[in-house]
Amino acid sequence: MHCDSAMSRREMLRRLVAGASGCLLVSVLPSLAGESEKNSKGRKPLYAYAVDTARCIGCCACMRACKAENEVPDGRFRTWIERYRVRANGEVLVDAVIDDGFVFKDDKVPDAVKAFFVPKLCNHCEKSACSQVCPVGATYTSPEGVVLVDQKRCIGCGYCVQACPYGTRYIHPVKHVADKCTLCYHRIMRGMQPACVQSCPRGVRIFGDLNDPESQISMALKQRRFRLLKPEMGTHPRCYYLDLDNEVI
Amino acid sequence: MNYLFPNELHVTWTVMIVLYPYITGLVAGAFIVSSLFHVFGVRELKPIARFSLASAFVFLLFAPLPLLVHLGRPERAFNIMITPHFTSAMAGFGYIYTSYLIVVALEVWFVMRGDLIARAKGTGLAALICRLTVLFNYKDTDATREADHRIAKFLAGLGIPMACTLHGYVGFLFGSLKANPWWSTPLMFIIFIFSAIVSGISVLIFHYFVVSWINRWKVDETCVRTMGRFLWGFMIVAVSLELLELLSIFYEQTDKTEVLSSLIHTKLFISYVVLQFGVFSLVPFLFLAVHALFKVSQRTAHALIWTSATMLLVQVLLMRWNVVVGGQLVSKSMRGFTDYFPGLWEKEGLITAGVIFTAPFIILYIFHNIIHLFPGVEKKT
Amino acid sequence: MGVDSEVPDKPLIRPDYRHVYPVGIILIVLIGVALGVRHWLIPETFGQFGFYRGAALEDARDHGMSYVGGAACAECHGDIVAIHDKDAHGGVPCETCHGPGTRHIRDNDITMPVPATREDCLVCHRKLDARPGSFPQVDWQEHFRFLGVADTNTACVQCHSAHEPLFMDRDMRKARLHPLIHQCGDCHLGRTDPTTPRPDSHPQIFQCDYCHPAIAASRDKTSHKKVACSTCHMFVRENSFSGRIVRNADPRFCLLCHRRTPFKSPAGPPMIEWPGHIKDVAGETPDAKRSCTDCHQDNIHDMPTKVKGVPHAL
Repeated sequence: MHCDSAMSRREMLRRLVAGASGCLLVSVLPSLAGESEKNSKGRKPLYAYAVDTARCIGCCACMRACKAENEVPDGRFRTWIERYRVRANGEVLVDAVIDDGFVFKDDKVPDAVKAFFVPKLCNHCEKSACSQVCPVGATYTSPEGVVLVDQKRCIGCGYCVQACPYGTRYIHPVKHVADKCTLCYHRIMRGMQPACVQSCPRGVRIFGDLNDPESQISMALKQRRFRLLKPEMGTHPRCYYLDLDNEVI
Repeated sequence: MNYLFPNELHVTWTVMIVLYPYITGLVAGAFIVSSLFHVFGVRELKPIARFSLASAFVFLLFAPLPLLVHLGRPERAFNIMITPHFTSAMAGFGYIYTSYLIVVALEVWFVMRGDLIARAKGTGLAALICRLTVLFNYKDTDATREADHRIAKFLAGLGIPMACTLHGYVGFLFGSLKANPWWSTPLMFIIFIFSAIVSGISVLIFHYFVVSWINRWKVDETCVRTMGRFLWGFMIVAVSLELLELLSIFYEQTDKTEVLSSLIHTKLFISYVVLQFGVFSLVPFLFLAVHALFKVSQRTAHALIWTSATMLLVQVLLMRWNVVVGGQLVSKSMRGFTDYFPGLWEKEGLITAGVIFTAPFIILYIFHNIIHLFPGVEKKT
Repeated sequence: MGVDSEVPDKPLIRPDYRHVYPVGIILIVLIGVALGVRHWLIPETFGQFGFYRGAALEDARDHGMSYVGGAACAECHGDIVAIHDKDAHGGVPCETCHGPGTRHIRDNDITMPVPATREDCLVCHRKLDARPGSFPQVDWQEHFRFLGVADTNTACVQCHSAHEPLFMDRDMRKARLHPLIHQCGDCHLGRTDPTTPRPDSHPQIFQCDYCHPAIAASRDKTSHKKVACSTCHMFVRENSFSGRIVRNADPRFCLLCHRRTPFKSPAGPPMIEWPGHIKDVAGETPDAKRSCTDCHQDNIHDMPTKVKGVPHAL
């Protein structure tokens, strides 16, 4: 600001306002650049996931699709299917197929009275324990509500793997950084479905925008009974399990 | 039936993560002993004060090593100081460790400045190192000694809460993890601190006796007796806290009681019940009780104290193992267990652990050859 | 001698701190430099949206896709997709059986795998306790025995085309609303024997003979008494109280059991050649589109097909 008395007050005011608006515009631009697509209701999307456990047949097509789409290493799982068999004496047997092409074969429990499949995956918690304990800010929640890992920042300490109550994280054996389900972020940001949702032949997995009241997931949550996994942990998972049995932890 | 979540078959935190709190525990314990003399004036600990400070310093230098070996990306280790995420207990490590290292290094400098100057006047590599260390300032008068003394005392006092933070945050790191039923307890922070002090005193006693025996020095009687009593007191608190945690798990009968009971009775029966408590806690407790409460001959007292110290060193290592590895053996599905053996030659195997643990002792030996760590000792008659 | 040797009764000494200043200066300089370097090392986009590198979102988006979705398949294979979407596998995405399609779309010379072994079908259709009772699942050995399939190497696709497994038309305009039909497997896992007498305390369930007793009785007099109603009248459950019933009069559906093939033995259902059978038996022109029910109603159950408004009117 020069002290030239030739500049009138009006001129000074005009310059100030122009400068301030310019600054405001420039400060807003970065957030505009990184802004997510608005949904049909004009709101930013908030992605969530639902699993209809009553319909799952345990074909594990989702496990194979996830592994192919995301190059998940052997022995590590971004998603898996659990089989529960309740015997007549009340004993509960739980197993999962983690090798041999992911096919459930044996059915050798003779006195099962109730049996069902439960798909599991990262719950993309609202107050995720993993992002709280990451020491370097490598695990975070995207603006759309998806919990992701910055694999260029992660130091591979493994704290997040310990902190996840659901066992959905692992250290990548080749990259030596933390890895987990990304809800196929690279697909959903292009308007497609995650690979697991797309490949399920029974429509068990539901993905959608909670901020759109007419999306399939919003409707399912309004119409069906559902339960969260380990709600006592306070992580506020955004993965809803429809018709979930009490034995499932 | 044994069911684990598929990703839990692999144990992420290995023997390196068992070793890290063990080493920082030795640091904290040794530093507390040193500060008991320098700040609180416990005269009986004078013979061991310098050695305990040096031990704290050398072990502190080696503390980050197991972490660096464990990290998936050690080249990014400094991220923890560039963008520390302070909601995470682990994020404090970078700054806490660095500042504590500076404090201890400075305290060593101020405490041993006189000897450094004396050594600097000689010849050879050691003398050159000493010359660099004292910044080529060889002024050594009563006035400078007084200044050094005051600053050392200040640093020793400042270092106590920092030592507690450096070791305590590790305990908090485990205790605050709600996802793991074996680790999650508010007591973990304080259990770690007290067992750290136990291990620190134990390593000093162990080392003092061994060095004296090798060099045929006489151990200072009051010193070892005082340390023995402190050790007894601190171990009672440490073991009581550990038992208290067990008690609350079994009394409260929550959802985790069943799987933890199974863990203790099957996977951890030998290492936890038999060894950690049965042998390596009970026996030192009895030995130290005898030494503290009854009149015994000098030889018996020395034997009791040294054996107890050695056993307690093992006890604290077992405790770290049972906490770190034990917690990872339990599945978060509450329905099964996995197994872990560190392997011998792996990057995070037993050989590496052995090397990392013995290296500080070698460095201490070199240190001792530069600056004598046991001033005023007498030979045995 | 170090400073840890105190002599208590020495007179008070004024400390000389001058040797400390260089240490302090070095410390301050080092800390200053470290903080400066740290600030310089913080990534540019860090903190943009939260405590993370803003550019990481771009990294997360930057990943190739293996699965393309059925719409891409339909661009070239529209004929197969049209048939597939109408039949029982209509809800099964192409890539679920054939694997990811990206490479095939980019280079048509790379062919998609065709899973045609029995094991490939059993991945979904093997009878397992944990599968919902209403889902079609078989114990393949039992299935072969019922149909008289003698060759144990027979693959499912030798009778059931994967794209058109049941010759069923799922077009909902042709499928009628129907109240919920219960099957034993809805509640009972494992083998269920429909001939086992029900105890008096058994919950009242709707089975076909409850509303259609005459038809059920007439079926029990024919050779089709071993065939469950739901085999030909597929019931697709839509909610907890109703669904759609599809009647399947496509001759190709009947032929799933009754066509003569080399791998079947006479121990199973009677077998014919099609459409040669029409000429052989009735002396008429073989027309593959004739429906079996034109002649064989009496072998199945009472079917008043000529009466308007009745379910079976053709």
